[in-house]
Amino acid sequence: MKQDKIRNFSIIAHIDHGKSTLADRILESTGTVSQREMKEQLLDSMDLERERGITIKLNAVQLNYKYNNEDYVLHLIDTPGHVDFTYEVSRSLAACEGALLVVDAAQGIEAQTLANLYLAMENDLTIIPVINKIDLPNADIEKVKRELKDTLGFDEDEIILTSAKTGEGIKELLDAIVERIEPPKGNINNKTRALIFDSVFDPYRGAIMLVRIMDGKISSRDKIKMMNTKASYDVVELGINSPKEVKKESLVCGEVGWISASIKSISDVKVGDTITLDNNEADEALPGYQPMKPMVFCGIYPIESNKYTLLRDALDKLKLNDASLIYEPETSEALGFGYRCGFLGLLHLEIIQERIEREFKIDLIATSPSVIYNVTLTNGQKIVVDSPTKLPEKQKIALIEEPYIKTNIFVPTEYIGPVMELCQDKRGNYINMDYIDKTRVNIHYEIPLSEIVYDFFDRLKSSTKGYASFDYEIVGYKPSDLVRMDILLNGEIVDALSIIVHKDFAYVRGKKVVEKLREIIPRQMFEVPIQATIGNKVIARTDIKAMRKNVLAKCYGGDITRKRKLLEKQKEGKKKMKMIGSVEIPSEAFLSVLSMDEK
Amino acid sequence: MKSVYIHIPFCDNICSYCDFNKFYYNQNLVDEYLNSLKNEIKTFYTGELINTIYIGGGTPSSLTIKQLEKLFNIINIFNKSDDFEFTIECNPENMNVEKINLLKENNVNRVSIGVQSFNKNILKLLNRKHSKNQVIELINNLNDIGINNINIDMMFGINIENIKTLDEDLDIISKLNIKHISYYSLILEENTMLYINKYIEQDEDTNFKHYEYICNKLKELGYNHYEISNFSKKGYKSKHNLTYWNNNEYYGFGCGAHGFINNIRYENTRSLTKYINKEYKLNSEEMTKKINMENEIMLGLRKLSGINKNDFYKKYNIDIYEIFSIKKYINNKTMIDDGNNVYINPKYIYVSNEILVGLLESSE
Repeated sequence: MKQDKIRNFSIIAHIDHGKSTLADRILESTGTVSQREMKEQLLDSMDLERERGITIKLNAVQLNYKYNNEDYVLHLIDTPGHVDFTYEVSRSLAACEGALLVVDAAQGIEAQTLANLYLAMENDLTIIPVINKIDLPNADIEKVKRELKDTLGFDEDEIILTSAKTGEGIKELLDAIVERIEPPKGNINNKTRALIFDSVFDPYRGAIMLVRIMDGKISSRDKIKMMNTKASYDVVELGINSPKEVKKESLVCGEVGWISASIKSISDVKVGDTITLDNNEADEALPGYQPMKPMVFCGIYPIESNKYTLLRDALDKLKLNDASLIYEPETSEALGFGYRCGFLGLLHLEIIQERIEREFKIDLIATSPSVIYNVTLTNGQKIVVDSPTKLPEKQKIALIEEPYIKTNIFVPTEYIGPVMELCQDKRGNYINMDYIDKTRVNIHYEIPLSEIVYDFFDRLKSSTKGYASFDYEIVGYKPSDLVRMDILLNGEIVDALSIIVHKDFAYVRGKKVVEKLREIIPRQMFEVPIQATIGNKVIARTDIKAMRKNVLAKCYGGDITRKRKLLEKQKEGKKKMKMIGSVEIPSEAFLSVLSMDEK
Repeated sequence: MKSVYIHIPFCDNICSYCDFNKFYYNQNLVDEYLNSLKNEIKTFYTGELINTIYIGGGTPSSLTIKQLEKLFNIINIFNKSDDFEFTIECNPENMNVEKINLLKENNVNRVSIGVQSFNKNILKLLNRKHSKNQVIELINNLNDIGINNINIDMMFGINIENIKTLDEDLDIISKLNIKHISYYSLILEENTMLYINKYIEQDEDTNFKHYEYICNKLKELGYNHYEISNFSKKGYKSKHNLTYWNNNEYYGFGCGAHGFINNIRYENTRSLTKYINKEYKLNSEEMTKKINMENEIMLGLRKLSGINKNDFYKKYNIDIYEIFSIKKYINNKTMIDDGNNVYINPKYIYVSNEILVGLLESSE
């Protein structure tokens, strides 16, 4: 295929704006997948993705399209739709020359629409604005057109109207892809450079890289080299997805495909890295490579301690497919043996946790997530702290810095008040506010990432009746007056419940945490004091009252089955509890310190 | 020696808290029922010496004189020991002197009266049909005729009760000079009138406070608190109930009755039609040594005196400490070992399930 007949594009959209359905329809109408083969949202292959309506892993598919009686090859590169995966999105976009910006006809522009658009613009992509779901009864096409024009600066005649559901506008969209998106640049005669934008793990073949050839070509007999990690491998086979795997002799400049090279671990493949030829190395790697940086950390422990090795197997297996997941053994006095795990963000954390519980059937306790703190000690030494228990004593700390984010909060103007109040509550610094139109604004705050980890989403949703959409970018580290707050049950510190908080907010947080724990932890045989402390100072305290009654008053006429059943039921209930010292704690208690209701 | 429980599933009034096996009284059904009962006993009773008989219900006293005569006739089959205990449950409103005389003639030597409360409002809530005076009259008549081993079933833990109403009841009890009192906390069961009427349960703290109050008062009145819900004057513990709590064997006859014979625990059908058609057994299960030991713990620790370590060893040929993590509870003082017996510290008897669950888990 000639380079000028290739088009590489992505679809970017806010969650639920119909990205995956649109991709399905494109596959179907180009005849890439027959209707019979069509599963709903074909590109999202994991169950969890389907359930959550989000895309976690990327995919790339080659489509054939006839335009003006000429054959074109289109590569559709799917992108994950969540802020946690921004880097992965940006690398996928870097593999394209164009992007479809999909906006829901009923909802208009949302936070992620904008965040993704900016990412696309940074990569110099041609953007085709698409208003989707025009079949919806509450579609307001004119209003969304105005938003696209006024806020994002598109021309009215650029906008394509589609309904992925009915198929309306799909042909116009495909034509526009060929007409407007430039063919790939680069030169087949240059030294080879290929961008790795994703990888998947195959139990028989090892890590498989998804690549876009930017310059030169790679053949199935080449020896390749990763320019950032310096590792070299012999290519075993390569090809394209249609969407089934099709082997080829070579991949050439402009093409998108996969390469298998007996790479044992997915960790050896870094998204964003550049592949070149071992015997004819390119002078310079492609720009934009960043090592994967987990932002959120938490301890993960099996409720049943004897499942520790199973948990390790589960993490090993998940890691095969997810290079961004990192973990190392950790011991908690309260919870025993577990792992400290790093995630790209909260959603990533939830997904991994859910997959372990669902696919590996291990009941977990996750401790409250922590961000990474940069700590300068009084002796000048700088350390990195990813867990409250690792925070040194107060006397030894000269400075603590924590990561801040900048928000995009899209919200109808009537909710500006509640949103600002929430951000203020979360130690936010107001930056400014952009009006999308008369009725909607984009509010910018700088807020510590650690505050987003704690119940920010929930509170944003509830204080705006679900109207707000939210996205963020990391803006760097700033000094903060932070302290470690410990929780004591029965006078003993439960390390898994410790959190790092801002000094001015510690008192309120401490009060809420002990109250919440009192609600969640059932009465025990003895009274259990719950205390929140900073250093040696108790800042909040409450008591779980002693259990008063747990008895079967009467055994009727020699019927002991009732009593046995009752005790069996109680026994089962106890299995779901974690014994800490002499206190039985339900597993949800450990995350409850996160979801604090406002009272 | 074994015990016998006989279930009479008929009532002429349904109490609002009861989900036990019972049917509205019906003359013809009762006669057919007694025929089938006779057949069941003849079929399964193998002639061993019987130590206690307990006729429970339902409401055995709802039977007519004739039916009671027929019942006692059936019971004559049993080979009774010299000092056997023979109890029948009665409701005050359907007893009279003639029935008491009949009981006496047939060697009934213990009567258990369903009282629950003397308070009008509480009786109304529980849908009980008798008055305080009927109870007093019945007790007087029983004593006059010579049946003085009397139990009253009392109830507490009712949401409209308070210390004052409890005091009034306990004050009346103090004047009755009865030998045995069962004081049960109301258990709200599904399929009861209370449940259907969305009765709100008394809270845990109040319930425990009232329990403690009752225990203390009865102790002052000279009653020995010997089981979670049972109190007796010296020498008047319920031998029949001790059969259950000592995990000894007993026959259960009648519709819905439970029995434990030859190491098999069984349950009779709860269907009156099936029972009358002589389809008796609903299910039965042979006990393993492990289950027996667990039951021994579950039942034995209902008694304030707990379990005799030697008896346990004799019965199971193993030290009770080897099977159950009793040590843990001795250490935290929720159980006590006095050298002979292990038992739950009386302070914690009202949370005994919590301990039992831990002990049962430890046997796994």
